[in-house]
Amino acid sequence: MKIQFVSEGPALLVRNKERILVAADLHIGIEADLAAHGWHVASRTNDRLLRLLSCVESESPDRVVLLGDVKHNLPRTTRQEYFELPGFLSAIRKTVPFHVVPGNHDTGIARFLQEGELLAKNGAVLDGFGYLHGHTLPSPDLAGRLIITGHHHPLVSIYDDVGCALKTPAYLLAGLNDSLLFRETGKGLKQGQKQRRKGGGTRALFMPAFNECAGFDIVSIIQHPFSPISRSIIAGSAEVLLSDGTYIGPVSSMEEPDAAA
Amino acid sequence: MPPLKLLDPRLRSLVSERGFTGLSDAQVQAIPRILGHENVVLIAPTGTGKTESAMLPVFSSLLSEPRTGGISALYVTPLRSLNRDILSRMEWWCARLGLKIGVRHGDTPASERRRQALSPPDLLITTPETVQALFMGKRLRRHLSGVKHVIVDEIHELAGSKRGAQLAVALERLHVHAGEFQRIGLSATVGNPDDIGRFLCGARPFTVVQVPVAKQLDISVKYAGDTFRKQAAVLSGMIGGKGSTLVFVNTRVTAEALGHELFERGDVEVHHGSLSKEVRIDAEERFKRGEINTLICTSSMELGIDIGRVDHVIQFGSPREVARLVQRVGRAGHRLHTVSRGTVLATGFSDLLESLVIARKAHRNEIEDVIVPVNAADVLANQVAAIAVEYGEIELARVQEIVERSSVFTRCSDMLADVCRQMEEHRLIRIDGSRIITTARARTYLSSNLSMIHDERKVPVFDIVSRRTVGTLDESFVVGWVHTGAVFITKGQLWRVLEIADGKLTVEPARKVQGDLPSWEGEQIPVPFSIAREVGRIRRSRSIREYSHDAENVLFAENFLTEMDKNKTPVSSDELIVLENTDDGVVCNICAGHKANEALARVLSALVSARFGTTVGIELDAYRILLRLPAYVRAADIRDILTTLDPTHMPGILRLALKRTALFKWKLVQVAKKFGAIDPDADFERISIHRLLEFFDNTIIQQEAYRELLSDYMDIDTAAGIVALIASGRITVSTGPLSIIGAEGILSSRDQVPPPTADHAVIAAIKKRLDADDVVLCCMNCHNWKSRTVISRVPEHPQCPKCGARLIAALKPWEEPLYAIANKKRKNTEERATELRLMKNANIVLSSGKKAVTALAARGVGPENASRILRSLAEGDAFYREILKAERTYIQTHRFWQ
Repeated sequence: MKIQFVSEGPALLVRNKERILVAADLHIGIEADLAAHGWHVASRTNDRLLRLLSCVESESPDRVVLLGDVKHNLPRTTRQEYFELPGFLSAIRKTVPFHVVPGNHDTGIARFLQEGELLAKNGAVLDGFGYLHGHTLPSPDLAGRLIITGHHHPLVSIYDDVGCALKTPAYLLAGLNDSLLFRETGKGLKQGQKQRRKGGGTRALFMPAFNECAGFDIVSIIQHPFSPISRSIIAGSAEVLLSDGTYIGPVSSMEEPDAAA
Repeated sequence: MPPLKLLDPRLRSLVSERGFTGLSDAQVQAIPRILGHENVVLIAPTGTGKTESAMLPVFSSLLSEPRTGGISALYVTPLRSLNRDILSRMEWWCARLGLKIGVRHGDTPASERRRQALSPPDLLITTPETVQALFMGKRLRRHLSGVKHVIVDEIHELAGSKRGAQLAVALERLHVHAGEFQRIGLSATVGNPDDIGRFLCGARPFTVVQVPVAKQLDISVKYAGDTFRKQAAVLSGMIGGKGSTLVFVNTRVTAEALGHELFERGDVEVHHGSLSKEVRIDAEERFKRGEINTLICTSSMELGIDIGRVDHVIQFGSPREVARLVQRVGRAGHRLHTVSRGTVLATGFSDLLESLVIARKAHRNEIEDVIVPVNAADVLANQVAAIAVEYGEIELARVQEIVERSSVFTRCSDMLADVCRQMEEHRLIRIDGSRIITTARARTYLSSNLSMIHDERKVPVFDIVSRRTVGTLDESFVVGWVHTGAVFITKGQLWRVLEIADGKLTVEPARKVQGDLPSWEGEQIPVPFSIAREVGRIRRSRSIREYSHDAENVLFAENFLTEMDKNKTPVSSDELIVLENTDDGVVCNICAGHKANEALARVLSALVSARFGTTVGIELDAYRILLRLPAYVRAADIRDILTTLDPTHMPGILRLALKRTALFKWKLVQVAKKFGAIDPDADFERISIHRLLEFFDNTIIQQEAYRELLSDYMDIDTAAGIVALIASGRITVSTGPLSIIGAEGILSSRDQVPPPTADHAVIAAIKKRLDADDVVLCCMNCHNWKSRTVISRVPEHPQCPKCGARLIAALKPWEEPLYAIANKKRKNTEERATELRLMKNANIVLSSGKKAVTALAARGVGPENASRILRSLAEGDAFYREILKAERTYIQTHRFWQ
C-alpha cells in the first residue's frame, strides 16, 4: 500500500491491489462564473485536460477517480459546460476508465456520464480507501479508513524571516472524530469501530484543487470549518504536506508570525 | 496693428466694458495667431489671462463665421471644478455676444444633457471623458460635425497621461466628423513645448507662443527644524499676517496633520481630494471672501481654479520637481505683472538640499519635460471599443488610420491586431476578416470605461480594538503600499495594519512610531535623477553656500555633514555609494532619484532573493534603498552583487523580478480592467488573484503592464548607467555602520520580492518544526537517566548528568516505553532487538551529537535512515534537504498511512 504524490496535478496515485489516480475539484466551466463576477478570461478546460492526461500517462493508473466538483455551475448547467464537458470526459474515457464521486457543484453531472461511472454522493470504498467529495456526511462504510477528500481546496502560506515566501496548494492530513461524523448510523459505526481497532482510526487526507484558481488557507479551514468532515477534525492532529509530498509538519507549527510584534 | 483692433467690434467694446486696461504679453502674442486660424500652443504662467487669450479671438471668429446649428467650439479642461470656473467666467461674454454656452461633464443632470442634445450650445465646456461620451449618441455626433475650434486647457496635465492619449485619439475621431478644426493648447511651463504641440496637433503645423516665467518668480528656501512640531510652529509664524497664503503639501496625510496642528488658530482650512465636494467648495469660498487667510492644500489647488487673491505660497517640504514648484508658486500674485512670491519650508537635511537644487533650477527655468506616452495598448483597446460602438462595424485599416493620425500611436498595426485578438477573447468586439464589429458588451464596457483614470474603490479601515470602521483608503493604495505591520495616520490617529482580507483593512491603534509622521507617503511624487545627482554633488563638494545665503540653512547643513565626519561615516554622494548595516537589513545610499532607485532596488532584491533564498522587502526614496533582509545577509554581500553586476543583464533581471511583486500585480489588474478583461466592479475577494493573473501571461495586457511600469515607475536605463559607473570605477562603493544620512527621512514602504524557489522557506519551516519537536534523551551507559526536552534545547554533545557518558539514545516521545524494555534484566528475542536498536541510536548520537538527535526526530527516520543521512556529510540546508527526502519516502509508504 503506497500513496504517491503527483505534483504536476496536483493528484495522488493510490497503490494497493490496483493503481488509482485521484484528482479533486476540476471545476470545468469556472470561466463562465468568473465572467459573471467580472473576470473575463478564455476557457482553460483544454489545459486542464492535457494536464490530467499527462498525469495519467506518467503514472499509468488502472482507473481514475475524479473526486467531485467536476463541473462548476450550480444548480444549472451552463452553455460552457454543455459545450465542453462531453469532450473533456470522453477524452479521459478513451484513455482510462474513470469514476466520479459527485460534489456539491455536480448537479446534473449524470447526463454526461455512462453507466458505472457515477459513485454515491456519500462516498465509496475502492481498493481499501475511502473516497468522498467532502460536503456531506460520509457513508458508514468509510469509518475507520483513510478518507481521501476534496471540497476544501487547501492552500498553505510559508513565511521566512522577512515575509511570505510561498503560497501554494497543499494536502491536509487529520484524524477525525467518529462520534461527530458517524452520528446516526449505529450499525455502520460498530463496523467502523471494528475497523478502527485494526487500523489507526478514521483519518482524512484533504486534497488540493486540481483547478488552478481556487483555494482556502489551511489555517482558516481549521479555524472556520465549513463541512461535516472539517468540523470533525481532531484538534491538534492536522498536518500539512506540500503537493510533492514534502512533510511540513503540524498546522500548529505554521501559524503566521506575530504581525504586531 | 495692435491685436485688439483685429477683434470683432462687438467684442472690442466688451473688452473695455470688462475693465481690461491693457493686454498681457501672452494675449498680445497669441491673439493675432489664433485669429489667423493657426494651431497654437500657448505657454504662460497662471494668471496671465490664458483663457481670454484663446477665447477672445475664438469668440471673434464665431461671430464672423456662419452658424452651423451644432457645437462650434469645444473647451476641454482636466477637472470638473475647472469647468465650473471657466463657465462662470465665459458666461459674461457669451450673454453679451448672443452666443449659447453649455457645460457637460459627469455631474451634469440628465435634463440638461437632453436639452443639449436637442439644441446644442455654440461653446461647450467639457472634460476629456465626456468628449468620449459625445461620440456615443447619434444626435450628439451630428452636432459635432460643425466644430471649428478645440481649446485644451491645462494641457500639460493631460499630455503625460493615458487620459491625454485618449483625448488625442478622440480629436482624430472628431476630425472624421468635422474635418480640420483649429487646435489651441493652454499650458503651464514645460521643458518640451514642441512635444506638447505634436501631442495636440499630430503631424499638422503649429506655433508655440511662450511667455517666460522665471523672472516673475521669487523663491526662497528655509530650513524649518527637525521635528514636525517645530516645522508647524515655523509655518504658523509665517501665516496670518495681512496677506493670504496658500500652503502646498505633498500628501493628504501631511495636509491633515498640519491642519490638526494649526486648527486652533481658527484662520486655517484644509483642502484635498479626499474631502467631500461641499467641504472643499466651502473652504474655497471662505478663502475667497477673506474669512480665512490660509488654505492648506495638495495638488488639488495647483490648477487655475480662481480662489481670489493669493499673496504668498508656502511649499511645506521639498516640491520634488521644478515644474511643480513653478506651478504652485505661480498661484501667488494672481494678477498681471506682479511677482509670485514663494517659500519652501525644508524639513530635513536631504529635503533642504533637494529644495535648494529645485529652487535654483526654477530660477534658471530648467523645467522637466512632459513625457507623452506612445503606443499604450490599453488606450488603444479603449479607443477600438469606442470606435466599434461609434461605427457599428469598421475596417481595421480605417481604425489604424484614425489612431495613427495622432502622435500617441505610431506604426501600431501589429499591436492593433494583438489588441483586437485580446478583445475578441473578452467578447468586446468580433473580428470578421479585415473588419471589426461591435458587441453588446462593448457598449456596457464603454459606459463604465469612459475614463482612462483608474477608478478607485475604497477599502474600509476596521479598528479591531473599538470594533468599528474608522475610515477608508484607496484600493490601489492598499494593494500597492500597505503591508502587514505598516503604520499610517487616518483621522488624526496612528494605526498599525494587522490584516488585509475580506475587503477590509484590520488595524489596531499604534502608540509609538519613529519620527513624527507616518512611515509611508501616499501620493508619491518622484524626484528626478538630475535633482538627486545635484544633491549628491553638493554633499561631495559641500557647496551649500553657493545655493543659499540663509545663515540658518548653511549652519544646519554644515553641522550635519560635520556630524557625519565626527562619526567617521562616509557621506554618500554622486560619486560614492555607501551600504550601511542596520538591524532590519541594509541601507543603500544612492543619489539616483526615485525611478532609478526603484529599478535598482528591484534588481538587487531579485539577485539577493535568488542567491540567499530569502524574501526581500524594499523601501526607498530618491537617496536611499532599504533592503529588508534576514540577519545573515550583510552590506558586504550587497556590495559583491553591486560591483559584479553586468548592466546589460539588468533589464532582463528586472522583468523577471517584477512579475513576482505586488506592484506588478496591481498594475496588471489596472490594465486588464481598461482592457475590459476585468469589470470595474469585479469581485476580488472570492477569487484567488495570484493564480488568476497567470491567465494574462504573454498577452498584450501583460506587455502593457510591463511597458507602463518600466517607463512610468522606474528607469532601468539610468539604473544600468549607475552600475556601469560603478564598474568603471567612477562611482565607489563602500560599506559601514548606519549613518545619520542613512537613518534620515521617512522611507516609503512598498513591496516584497519572494525568492524564485521557495526551497529555502520550506527548509526553514521544516527546521522550525524539528527544533520544536519533543525528544526523550536516555543514557544507554548507566541505564538510569532519561529526560524529555525539545530539540532546540539539546546541547551539541548530549551527556548523561549521572554517569557523564555520551552514549545517549534520542527517542521520539512515543518511543519512550522502549527504554524500560531495553532496561529489563531478562529479555526475549524481540526485546533484545529493541535494546540493540537503542544502542545503535545512542552510538549515532555519540559520534554525531545534536545533528543525529535532529535526524532521529524526523518522521519515519530510525537509526538506519539517520546514519545514511549523516553519512552524506551534508551540512546546513543540505542536511535538512536529506531529512526532507527521507521523510518524503516514508510518507509514500504503508506505515505512514496506518
